[in-house]
Amino acid sequence: MNTVIVLLDAPEPWQIGFQDSATPGFEGIVALHDSILFYLVLILVSVFWILFAIINNFNSTKSGITYKYLNHGTLLELIWTITPALVLIAIAFPSFKLLYTLDEVIDPSLTIKVTGHQWYWSYEYSDMLAENGESIEFESYMVPESDLEEGQLRLLAVDSNLIVPVNTHIRFIVTSTDVIHDFAVPSLGLKIDATPGRLNQTSALIERAGIFYGQCSEICGVWHGFMPIVVEAVEVSDFFAWVDSN
Amino acid sequence: MINFNNQIASQRGKFQAFPFHLVEQSPWPLATSFTLLTMALGAVAYFQGFPFGGELLLLGFVLTASVMILWFKDIVIERTYLGDHTSQVQSGISLGFILFVLSEVMAFLSVFWAFFHSSLAPTIEIGGTWPPVGIESVDAFAIPLLNTILLLSSGAFVTWGHHALIKGDRFGAIVGTFITIILALIFTGLQAFEYMEAPFSFADSVFGTVFYASTGLHGLHVIVGTIFLTVAFIRIVQYHYTDSHHAGFESAILYWHFVDVVWIFLYIFVYVWAS
Amino acid sequence: MSADAKAQEQPVKRVLQTVGFDARFPNQNQTKHCFQSYIDYHKCINAKGEDFAPCKQFSRAYKSLCPNDWISRFDEQREAGTFPASLEP
Repeated sequence: MNTVIVLLDAPEPWQIGFQDSATPGFEGIVALHDSILFYLVLILVSVFWILFAIINNFNSTKSGITYKYLNHGTLLELIWTITPALVLIAIAFPSFKLLYTLDEVIDPSLTIKVTGHQWYWSYEYSDMLAENGESIEFESYMVPESDLEEGQLRLLAVDSNLIVPVNTHIRFIVTSTDVIHDFAVPSLGLKIDATPGRLNQTSALIERAGIFYGQCSEICGVWHGFMPIVVEAVEVSDFFAWVDSN
Repeated sequence: MINFNNQIASQRGKFQAFPFHLVEQSPWPLATSFTLLTMALGAVAYFQGFPFGGELLLLGFVLTASVMILWFKDIVIERTYLGDHTSQVQSGISLGFILFVLSEVMAFLSVFWAFFHSSLAPTIEIGGTWPPVGIESVDAFAIPLLNTILLLSSGAFVTWGHHALIKGDRFGAIVGTFITIILALIFTGLQAFEYMEAPFSFADSVFGTVFYASTGLHGLHVIVGTIFLTVAFIRIVQYHYTDSHHAGFESAILYWHFVDVVWIFLYIFVYVWAS
Repeated sequence: MSADAKAQEQPVKRVLQTVGFDARFPNQNQTKHCFQSYIDYHKCINAKGEDFAPCKQFSRAYKSLCPNDWISRFDEQREAGTFPASLEP
């Protein structure tokens, strides 16, 4: 029996969970989400338990006693102040650890410049310049609904994918030429503002080949919803072949 | 006994059982709204170079000033001749004015925020330095230092005027307040002179923008404070104030000290640190 | 065509290389990394001439980091004498 695993690299209708991870960064984000969710469920259950227990057991039909002079209880107040503080600390430290790990670009092998425009993305590769000093640069527009081909995703497919090598530390330098956009690809754990006049740096180590879909995530004008991002991760040798053909 | 109670009941409408001032209907809030709208539209039209923008701005200014005079006149009548401003009303006015000054503090805080945002980490477009490459800032130890001395001395003179009023010294109150106003006018004049002589304009990088926005907003407050003190001065001369009932004068003094403190911060950061 | 080219290049070892971490610019904001590299390159060639090999690393750095739009704007400003920093060595 053959089992084919199709990984989810694009949003699907009525989805509430995450897309499938392709980078260590996004795995860290999912792990942090899960551990915070543990505390969330714990708190939700215990608070509602107490709330409903009080409503159920101490209403006027079940108990005629009114605790009119019960104004404070130091021990109880200490418990319900210190416990949330400890929970917050338990959430904060893994969160900081992940935050600063994600900030770390360490030693990238490839830099890709990403520029947001109203309303498309453009990409530049300037690490390997041609003899005449030209770098690879191209624009990436959404495929309009009327031009969609069989299998292309509506509002997500673009005319030119961002081609990147797998298993390579990639640095993205993100900026904008007009208003603030945001370069976001869920499967890669990327979400970084593209601010005019500023170069924001982020990184990704893509661990499997695939086509990863993302969208502009900072409201940037009427066609904010129509400037998707498509990252196509290919084997390194194929990446070089693509570089040479451009 | 019953007869006596009936007498009280029949006179009840002529007395007030609480110390508060229930203001009557007044056209001035609505009128002020419209004159301010005229002034704002005129300012925009003027800045954008529309025909008659300057005239509209001037019209708005004259109308606003007229309505202000009429509104002030009503309040003076309510206070001085109708006795509506009981000690409760006075404390309400003072508290309200303190809250207003606090909101002004927040307005200046936002302007200082813009200044520090631009100056503490200057962008590459201005060369990564502050003042930006090519900007010749004003000499902090020339006119700005004189202005600092003028404003601080005016603060001292207004304190003299205030304490003289409390002591019942009419001469001191009048002279102290008068000198304060003269110093304020000299300050505004020097500031105008400095604006004309400055080697950069509002449009010369974020430096020019934040310089004129901060000192200009302060300058506007100096002008308003001067008007405030002038109204108080006229009322001292007109015997409106007593040694214990002068909430308007005290509000003017608070406002003047606020303007003073803002200038100290402006002088330290925008003038001294930037040059 | 591309298959041929690939077959030919197979023995050649190719290296992906880009500008590394710079302790002066440890933040997410790399604007000054780009700007300073551009300045350093022009200071370098003004001092040692355009063929001086060590200057190349500055040019690689700014070309990798600065958007091409920015580079052409800097070049124009440099030619017009309005570049907002000194490029004298």
